[in-house]
Amino acid sequence: MRNLTTRLVILVMAALTIITGLFDYTRLVDEHARLLRVTQDDERIFAETFALAVSRNVRRGRTTDDLKDLLDEILVRPGLIGVAIFDPDERLVTQTLAPGAEPARSDELVRTALTTGKAASTTMASGSGRVLRYIQPFRWPGGRTGAIEVRQTLAGMEKEFRRAVRENIVSRLVLLALFVLSVVALTRWNIVRPIRALIEAARAVGRGDLGQRIRVNRRDEIGQLAEEFNRMATNLETAHDALLHQTGERLRLEGEVQQGQKLGAVGMLAAEVAHEIGTPLNIISGRAEVLGRFIDPEHPGRRHLDVILRQTERISGIMRALLDYTRPRRPALRPEAILPIIGRVADLLLERSRRSGVRIALDLPVGLPPVLGDADHLQQLFLNLLKNALDASVSGGTVQVTTGPEPHLPSEGRSGIVRGEAKGECLAIHVEDSGKGLTADQLNHVFEPFFSTKGRGQGTGLGLPIVDEIVRAHRGEIEMLSVPDKGTEVIVRLPLAQTATGGPTASGTADTQEAHEHAR
Amino acid sequence: MGKPPSILVVDDDPEMRELLLDVLGNEGYEVAEAKDGTEAVLALRAREFDIILMDKNMPGPSGLDLLPGFRRVCPRSQIIMMTAFGDVPSYMDAVEKGAVEYLFKPFRMEEMKAAIVKALASKAGRGPG
Repeated sequence: MRNLTTRLVILVMAALTIITGLFDYTRLVDEHARLLRVTQDDERIFAETFALAVSRNVRRGRTTDDLKDLLDEILVRPGLIGVAIFDPDERLVTQTLAPGAEPARSDELVRTALTTGKAASTTMASGSGRVLRYIQPFRWPGGRTGAIEVRQTLAGMEKEFRRAVRENIVSRLVLLALFVLSVVALTRWNIVRPIRALIEAARAVGRGDLGQRIRVNRRDEIGQLAEEFNRMATNLETAHDALLHQTGERLRLEGEVQQGQKLGAVGMLAAEVAHEIGTPLNIISGRAEVLGRFIDPEHPGRRHLDVILRQTERISGIMRALLDYTRPRRPALRPEAILPIIGRVADLLLERSRRSGVRIALDLPVGLPPVLGDADHLQQLFLNLLKNALDASVSGGTVQVTTGPEPHLPSEGRSGIVRGEAKGECLAIHVEDSGKGLTADQLNHVFEPFFSTKGRGQGTGLGLPIVDEIVRAHRGEIEMLSVPDKGTEVIVRLPLAQTATGGPTASGTADTQEAHEHAR
Repeated sequence: MGKPPSILVVDDDPEMRELLLDVLGNEGYEVAEAKDGTEAVLALRAREFDIILMDKNMPGPSGLDLLPGFRRVCPRSQIIMMTAFGDVPSYMDAVEKGAVEYLFKPFRMEEMKAAIVKALASKAGRGPG
């Protein structure tokens, strides 16, 4: 009964059946009475006529046999099953019977007719259906009253009535069926179908498909409902879009403000330092240049001078990098194979790793999917991470570079920090050292500018903030995990370049193998 | 053209002044020095210079503050500003206020000499006024 059409059909059918049933019942009852009346009238007229004929014959003194002949002639009338004549003393004078009919006898009804002189009639049950008896008195010689009895079977009438009932039922059933069909069709087309469409659309909107609309091609209540639904969906969509836009805008602004504040502090400091050391650097390099004019290019002291000049250049380079960090350029993102980048970084650090006795082990499979990145920025990122890992390790240790979804450090005693939020498919690169690790408190500060766990004068405190900036600019995330006395693991997750053809280039593979060679 | 071009070096760092005086004197220029804005103004009252080589960062009025006044007092002098590297905003400011050249410290001596030659050439191009 959950179905609207079924309920409607049952309701309509019940109402229709009761109404037409009552109507048909009374009509048929009336019809039956009418048929009976007609038969009775028929019988009466016939009996009256016949009584006149018998009366005349009796008064003329006809014999019983003559009367019997008359009765026999009369009996051919259809429906008649018996005719009898009674004298004034209620004695049966003669009778004629159809085959199988019950013989007539004088009874109360005959007596009543003879004494009152009025016609009497009744119906009675008989072996072959109901029978109508009609007693008609007539004038008997000598001023007395005789009676004739006419019996007629009602079988024909009953048969006709039953046929009428049958026809009525059949026609009613056909009518009902047609009605039900039309109700089903009407509700299906006009109510069920549009409501189902509404339900589907509402479900879709519920699932978050706010672009869902219903085609409206009617002006009735359902059409209005659909229109209202569409209006609601449009409003929802507009509100949703506005909210998304606002949220995005707010996040962007918040990020910019945060970045601005942080870079403001760093930038001011950097500019200050740059101003302060610009002049002394200039004096050193200028004096070295002046000195260079007095020293012959072949002179052994010339080498020392060149070193001084080179080192002042290097200091300016560092200062420029610091200033660049405070004015970071936007990365140019494009599909990049990560292997050649890390390979180059390992190459750069080869001398350093040899000096400190720490091995760099690149354990990255060939065929890693390309990431969406800026090669220069990514190189900077891994350079900073690997430098940190080298510095954290003691001689004889190993810095491992691997890939995979799960951290390698055991979860026991492990603390961690995550920066950024990577969405979609990512490539995870792990950089692990076997150093003395960091405490949870230290981890909380590692991404702050000028925070350093290295000895005084050894670290700038800008390595990880730069890494953080780069990872964020790549819409990736960085996770730093550490277990004291076991080591530190940094996991960089970078979004994959979805549209790229995939796989590193041939040169990338070669670079990496080369890096492997160097590392061993 | 018998007289060598004259240069006033304005910098608060004595060793920087000494370096510049050494190098420029060696190049044959006639060089004077001033350790701040006050000394520079006094020097400019005494005589005219072809080139003023001035640091941006000095105690008291900065090089940028002094620039407009110098341009009025000695419009024929070519002013070359010196500042720490990466100071792009003050570079724009200085150019607007009339500096002809701009040197980011630390600069090479060759770089400075080239800037001076260029400034002198543009002064000669404009004529002696």
